[in-house]
Amino acid sequence: MRLEDATAYTAECFRGEPASCSWACPFRLDVRSFLDKAGKGRWAAAYKVLRDATVFPAIVAALCDQPCREHCQRPLLGDEPIAVRDVEGAVLRYAKDRRPQSYAIPPKDRRIAVVGAGPAGLSTALNLAQKRFRVAVFEKRDAWGGALRPHPRFAEFDADIALQFSAVEVGFRFGAEVRDLDELVDFDAVYVATGAGGGSFGLLESWDRGLLTTSMPKVFMGGELCGVTLMEGIAQGIEASKIIEVFLQTGRATRPPGEYDKAKCGHYLDHEGAVSVPLVQASGPDGYTEAEAKAEAARCLQCDCGKCIAACEMLSRFRKDPRQIALEVYTDMEANPFSTRAVTRETYSCNICGYCRSVCPVGVDIGALLQFSRAARMRAGVHPAALHDFWLRDMDFATGEGAFASPPRGRPACEYAFYPGCQLRASNPEHVLRSYEFLRQTRGAGITLGCCGAPAYWAGDEARLQANIEETRRQWSGLGRPTLVFACATCEGLFRLFMPEIPRVSLYELLADSETIRPVAPFAEAAVFDPCAARDDHSMEAAVRNLAGKAGVALEELKERNRCCGHGGHIRIANPDLYDEITRNRAEAGAKPYIVYCANCREVFALRGKECVHILDVALGLTADSRVPTLEEKRNNSLRVKRELMKQTQDIDFEPERREWESLTLVIDDELQKEMEEKLISALDLKEAIWRAETSCDKFYDESDGTSLAGLVRPVITYWVQYREIAPDTYEVQSAYYHRMRFEREE
Amino acid sequence: MAAGTRVWKCCRCDEELVPKKTVLSYLGHTVAHELLTCPKCGKVYVSKELAEGKMSEVEQLLEDK
Ligand code: SF4
Ligand SMILES: [Zn+2]
Repeated sequence: MRLEDATAYTAECFRGEPASCSWACPFRLDVRSFLDKAGKGRWAAAYKVLRDATVFPAIVAALCDQPCREHCQRPLLGDEPIAVRDVEGAVLRYAKDRRPQSYAIPPKDRRIAVVGAGPAGLSTALNLAQKRFRVAVFEKRDAWGGALRPHPRFAEFDADIALQFSAVEVGFRFGAEVRDLDELVDFDAVYVATGAGGGSFGLLESWDRGLLTTSMPKVFMGGELCGVTLMEGIAQGIEASKIIEVFLQTGRATRPPGEYDKAKCGHYLDHEGAVSVPLVQASGPDGYTEAEAKAEAARCLQCDCGKCIAACEMLSRFRKDPRQIALEVYTDMEANPFSTRAVTRETYSCNICGYCRSVCPVGVDIGALLQFSRAARMRAGVHPAALHDFWLRDMDFATGEGAFASPPRGRPACEYAFYPGCQLRASNPEHVLRSYEFLRQTRGAGITLGCCGAPAYWAGDEARLQANIEETRRQWSGLGRPTLVFACATCEGLFRLFMPEIPRVSLYELLADSETIRPVAPFAEAAVFDPCAARDDHSMEAAVRNLAGKAGVALEELKERNRCCGHGGHIRIANPDLYDEITRNRAEAGAKPYIVYCANCREVFALRGKECVHILDVALGLTADSRVPTLEEKRNNSLRVKRELMKQTQDIDFEPERREWESLTLVIDDELQKEMEEKLISALDLKEAIWRAETSCDKFYDESDGTSLAGLVRPVITYWVQYREIAPDTYEVQSAYYHRMRFEREE
Repeated sequence: MAAGTRVWKCCRCDEELVPKKTVLSYLGHTVAHELLTCPKCGKVYVSKELAEGKMSEVEQLLEDK
């Protein structure tokens, strides 16, 4: 993996970048940080931010014309922009310790001459002196201040200049007019800042605004002499000091890297939920009191994006900046065996539902980044296989023993074929059989039982996904390249992504368009819970609403649509707590019962006790079943669907392979059954464990009451079951558990 | 009967289990731990408490690595 491969996903993210006000400020003052500190009454800290950015804070606080206010986002709420300069004035009054910092770096021997002791020249001189260069300032008048001298508040400015220069050494030569630059040949660099209309030694024409260079090597120029404003001139002093430093080190004038990225700072946010607060008026003529300044500073909205983090439970839990995540996706792949990977858990905790992308103002998709990370980890063999093992085994079943495809009876091919997906038939065979009947009658549809590959996709298993795609294409061609009819938005989405050549339509659209369908209302009022995978397919959303409407259900819209129910990305094993939080939040998102159109959503809500029905119950007038089948029942449901459809289309009696252990009877109480379902332990695995133990005596045994303990070592997971035989081939299960570690026997 | 008070025997060897240092591996890392084992055939016993407690903790730590 290259760093850019990961960071490309979050390249547009601007979280942590300067806000729009800073973008407008000639000094790039971090207004957000400044106002945050001032708002808390931390005057010294606020002063330091102001001083470090503006060089001469008293001059700037008095004279800046505040372009920041033009870009303040407060007005989006109908308020006046923050009175930044008035807060600056207050900070200068209330910050007790304003002594400049002294710079503990060794002195340098390069000498720089600054021509002109106006604000621009002074700023450059001060910034160079802070870098410990030997600086001499030549001023034809006998004092500093330049164009500011006549100003009524010059005494304040004078004091500020003196204060800022008090911690550095600079040689001031007053009354020393430079007439010819030859006088300065002994200096390693020269900065000319003689003020508006001042002498430019004939170099003004050649001035480069970006690099502040002139046609004479060593000679730089800036300030009002070059037509910039007073504030820009002071700000240029900071840049000039950096450019000159690089020039003295390398002999070339270039801008140091890490400069301000303007493109990222112009963003305005929507400030959802922020309230209007009016401008604070100063009660006296001398500006804000401490309390007033704090209140005004606290009006700052602290504009920074964090929409995805606020919107997503997973991102809120891990609280990492998107660009940091991208960086760590990369560094995790470079980790050596002794270092720790940083975002593994987060990688496998993402629903990959695309909600972050839908709220992000610049469309960053962190799910796509983490999906990318999963695939990279799988390729490198550093994926924790146990986190996805259950679903990959389930996919193996759905695409193996559970798979089947056929045109309708007596036909070699078909124009339509139903693609119910693996979960619908597992959770409710009636939904599939009845829907197929409808499609067969209305469209002469065939059937394809398989799995779209979502488990492989979410596990990052590209090889398995690719193999499944090829097999699916082959099946589809065998049916005569029909339009596939989808009941599951996840299937539909994966087909759109990986097999776009296959024509698609949703079952719900066909049902909604049909005259023969008479939907029945299960509730008078309900909310449609749209699955995350349907976000990009509005035809499904519309058809479902249409069907519910025909049934006479009064629909209410949820505040947030297309949120993942929790099932997406298969995070349940990787992060059970988060899964629990997400499913609870979704169940509580609406007070009315839900109408869903995804078998996984239905299962999540049924287990949460949230009243909910599948739209197929509504459309087909079925009685909704509030139970969720066990894992073993799901498997049997899938096989039953296959058996019935094989009979119906091919007149073949399908007999699924029955392993010896399937004839065992297990007695499992409700509590244990529930625990097993939560841990994704199937009774079928326990049967196999018991059968193997009983036939080989490979088990532990407690003579006192005849209890046995059997282990079943699967490639990824080791299952254990404690049980007792209560009748021939009938076992009462006492507990079931698993672990992922394996034994390496040692003598 | 509480799990801890059971006297497990290896069914094949008819031996009571004895504690033995066992090496466990996960995701390329190994950890040694004292586990009840059949003294004859070496079959290792893992209790629910161990699997869902300490072992699961270590598994998660190693997954996060
Ligand atoms: S929504 Fe998230 S990813 Fe998008 S810009 Fe904001 S912080 Fe960055
Ligand atoms: Zn033994």
